[in-house]
Amino acid sequence: MAARSLWNGTLTFGLVNVPVKVFSATESKSIHFHQVHLSDEARIEHRRICPKEDKEVDKDEIVMGYELSDGGYVELSKDEIAAAGGENAKLIDVEHFVPGEAIDPIFYDKTYYLGAGDDGEDAFRLLRKALDESGKVAIGRWVFHDRERLVAVRPYQGVLAMGVLNFHDEVVEADELDLPSPQKNPTKRELEMAGKLVKSLEAKFEPHKYKDSYRDAVLAVIERKQKGEEIEAPEPEEREEPDDLAAALEASLA
Amino acid sequence: MPRSLWTGSLSFGLVNVPVQLVSAVRDLDLHFHQLHEKDDTPIETRRVCSKEGKEVPYEEIGNEYDGVVVTDEELSAADPAKTRTIDIESFVKLDEIDPIYFDHPYYLIPAGETDGTIRAYKLLAGVMEQSERAALGRFVLRTKEYLVAIRVREGALMLSTLRFHDEVRDIDGLPGAGGRTKPKEVKEALKLIDALSTDWKPEDYDDCYRKRLQSIVRAKRQGGEIKVPETDPERTQPVPDLMAALEASLASARSG
Repeated sequence: MAARSLWNGTLTFGLVNVPVKVFSATESKSIHFHQVHLSDEARIEHRRICPKEDKEVDKDEIVMGYELSDGGYVELSKDEIAAAGGENAKLIDVEHFVPGEAIDPIFYDKTYYLGAGDDGEDAFRLLRKALDESGKVAIGRWVFHDRERLVAVRPYQGVLAMGVLNFHDEVVEADELDLPSPQKNPTKRELEMAGKLVKSLEAKFEPHKYKDSYRDAVLAVIERKQKGEEIEAPEPEEREEPDDLAAALEASLA
Repeated sequence: MPRSLWTGSLSFGLVNVPVQLVSAVRDLDLHFHQLHEKDDTPIETRRVCSKEGKEVPYEEIGNEYDGVVVTDEELSAADPAKTRTIDIESFVKLDEIDPIYFDHPYYLIPAGETDGTIRAYKLLAGVMEQSERAALGRFVLRTKEYLVAIRVREGALMLSTLRFHDEVRDIDGLPGAGGRTKPKEVKEALKLIDALSTDWKPEDYDDCYRKRLQSIVRAKRQGGEIKVPETDPERTQPVPDLMAALEASLASARSG
């Protein structure tokens, strides 16, 4: 992989500075289309227009505006917004080490890889090795693309994986959902039968077994179109809710 | 209550649970509008035909790939037939799923108020909590099919979209992979990790960027000048002596 880094900087813990590079760990394999005008198949361009003058506006004539409740705006330049990055904007600033398994998956957002930065190989290997032996993950902050992200850095194969975490106030807790309670709880027998059904479907997680079938379906549509075939959209399927829970469970187990 | 993004049924054997999908994260970021500096007018983005130079309405736009143009309607032929169902295919141990696969977290909540729906939901949540397993299934959101893991969190069913295996890049060629370390340094680094270890308490971490940006907006509103802070250059330099840096860190972590 001729990897190109997305960000170069320093991971610091205590007084130890580890030069690091951030790389994408995931990539979308979805089919990406260009928008075109159907009548002449010319590309669609997205133009920035000032509706007052009805004219296209150059990038350098644009400022960022924060809307106030009275409809007015506070204008900020890109540099002024960047100032929110604070003094640690060039760092992945590690604050603590925590047991990795304690982090509920609800916190996990996108993952990146960390590789060693220039002149940073020794420090990088040391951090990777020490994290591996400690069984801990490093919790730090990272400013990227005009946002501060909480990150969890952990050993991953020969390098480090940096998972972006949601902040606690961004996470919706289950008690905010006001889940209704049934008039009658599921019976012991129903729970037992459902338990059997779960058992019968137990498996190992084997990610390579799952392929994105939508991607193949999109490519198939493109191919049919190329051959000049007529393409019709299918009707979606509907399902009914069964009214007898116990009967449905029994039929599932049969 | 978060907005419903999808309604359908979660199917488990022959048991169907009508459910709604809501996001499990909320957007708390400050949002800005692009303004034309000259007249403070919010900028509009218009779709313009590059040949005619004229604005194009949405229904006249097609999708081009590799020289082939398909309409949105034709593209919908690729939509999986089952767009209203999540079929549970298997139950796996949650810790077998590496966090690298996790994409976006959602909740599934009962759709509708009927007692049958609520009981079926509760049954599935109850049995999954007992089994301590996550259900794997497939589901279609806005024409894209996802592999999903469903599990229980505090009595609620959670659905996380997962990355497909071929969307996870391999680490070949990344700088710093492999190589030797000095046991003495590793020992010292482990002591430092230990000294900086805590429990995971997510509420200890607030989004400081959001707070700083709010105060920048406030300061600017009052006509103040905004200065871009500098990163302390000492913190961005590679340390010349790792062992010395570790020892000094440890001394400072233990004293403070």
